[in-house]
Amino acid sequence: MEKLVHSAKKHNKGGGPSLWVTASGKGGAGKTFVTSSLAITLTKLGYSVIIVDLDAAGANVHTALGQNPAPVSLRNWLEGQKDLAGIVTPTNLPRLSFVQGLWDSWCPIELSVENMRKLAAELRTLRCDFVLVDLGPGATEAHLELFRGADEKILVSTPEPTSIEKTYRFLEAYICSTLRDSARPEAFEDLLKTLREHRHRRHKKPFSFRGHLREHEGFQIDHFEALSRSPVRLVINACRSQVNAELGYSMKSVCSKYYDLGLDFLGALDFDNAVWQSVKNKEQVLIAQPFTPLAGQFLAVCKHLIAPEELRAVG
Amino acid sequence: MLEQGRYNYYEILELPTTAPQHEVTTAYERAKATYSGENPAIYTIFSDHEARELLTLIEEAYAILGNKTLRGIYDQRLLGGQAQPKELSYQSILTASRALFPENKPEEKKNEYKIDEIFEKKISDCKEWDGEFLKKVREYKCIGLDRMSEKTKINSYYLNALEGMDPSGLPAPVFVRGYVIQVAKFLGLNDKTVADSYMKIFRARTEPQHARSK
Repeated sequence: MEKLVHSAKKHNKGGGPSLWVTASGKGGAGKTFVTSSLAITLTKLGYSVIIVDLDAAGANVHTALGQNPAPVSLRNWLEGQKDLAGIVTPTNLPRLSFVQGLWDSWCPIELSVENMRKLAAELRTLRCDFVLVDLGPGATEAHLELFRGADEKILVSTPEPTSIEKTYRFLEAYICSTLRDSARPEAFEDLLKTLREHRHRRHKKPFSFRGHLREHEGFQIDHFEALSRSPVRLVINACRSQVNAELGYSMKSVCSKYYDLGLDFLGALDFDNAVWQSVKNKEQVLIAQPFTPLAGQFLAVCKHLIAPEELRAVG
Repeated sequence: MLEQGRYNYYEILELPTTAPQHEVTTAYERAKATYSGENPAIYTIFSDHEARELLTLIEEAYAILGNKTLRGIYDQRLLGGQAQPKELSYQSILTASRALFPENKPEEKKNEYKIDEIFEKKISDCKEWDGEFLKKVREYKCIGLDRMSEKTKINSYYLNALEGMDPSGLPAPVFVRGYVIQVAKFLGLNDKTVADSYMKIFRARTEPQHARSK
């Protein structure tokens, strides 16, 4: 355990908590499920974890954890009544706390990019080992702002074509948002034009981001190398067969060939009846059925992220 | 996408150049599963046509990297900086490999023997094929028992008994017939006629013995 804690300290530079952000292109892919399960696995490994619910479309991390909604929520932080540490609510699970999302849907507030920047800075001051953020579906600018700055960027997809399609759209948005900041504006406009032509199959040559960067001025040439150093981690959720699980490798290959983006396939999670059974009882599956095969899969995912050397068969 | 300038085979299979051989195979199988058939992972990204082109490249890459010898030549040229990926086509590697390892199989040593017109005529006219005559043909063609045994994969003990038509040294007649066919083929004779005739004589000689033993 000491070794684990040691590697976690190494993991986050600067000494604050490590920030993991879970996103997905499509709603219902299992972001909240993955976030809460990762959090519980991390607490089982001895770390303290805070989950932050940023799903503006209906915050329900508390339900996934089997908790009552907290009296204080992000609303209090948005309106400046409390600081972030003041709205962290403990749960009845050891080492696990959460920040209640916006569930007063009668007065919606869009989380702005400004909000996100402020939030990202404050998240890193929280006193714990890991902060896990559960984003809403889709690639809004605010989502991407937080996603880009995360220590671990976790992207959840299911094996259905609808989900896969939206995952690619999310990745495109992610790439473009990183390019926009580093590129000259006119070069970026030109890239968007080329992309549009390509999408409608009017572009003459085959398109490649890396090729485009090489041929056009106004970009940083090593952009994709830099992106791939802190890769997006892909999780395929609700796999019903080995073929489904292999999709992760296929998507990784497609990303590398089409986007020139190094993607890391974090792992496949089985479709597990234990999940809906425990959701029905408003319990977290890893608490209700701690020995279901999924628990092992989440453990492997966590180990892959915090101590990959321990997964190697030969040291 | 893999456009204009050719990528090297390692990039096509997305492997480090140090990948061990079994990882090359895994990568190939995954790539093949990805770009063939209706894999949902290429949906909205690659058209059928593009996927087929990629598949061709993948097959080509595996034809080189999946073969240790060809991979060695490829590595030497690519990593040694002797050539650019686009100059290293599948054909050029194959040609280089042929130059390095010429495919000249060791020539079979032909059996040298003096052709004797009279004996040749005797062979072609022969109707009664017994063990003794088979032995004569073998000796005429200068083939030792050892060599015959090595080529026909029949133990020389059986070959000896076959030529002596000694049933005590031979297995059941059905196997004997098989041996005779092998021997006849090896001696360049018509195996069916030889076997039929040999078995007829063989039975005629052994059956009285059987009858007596009964």
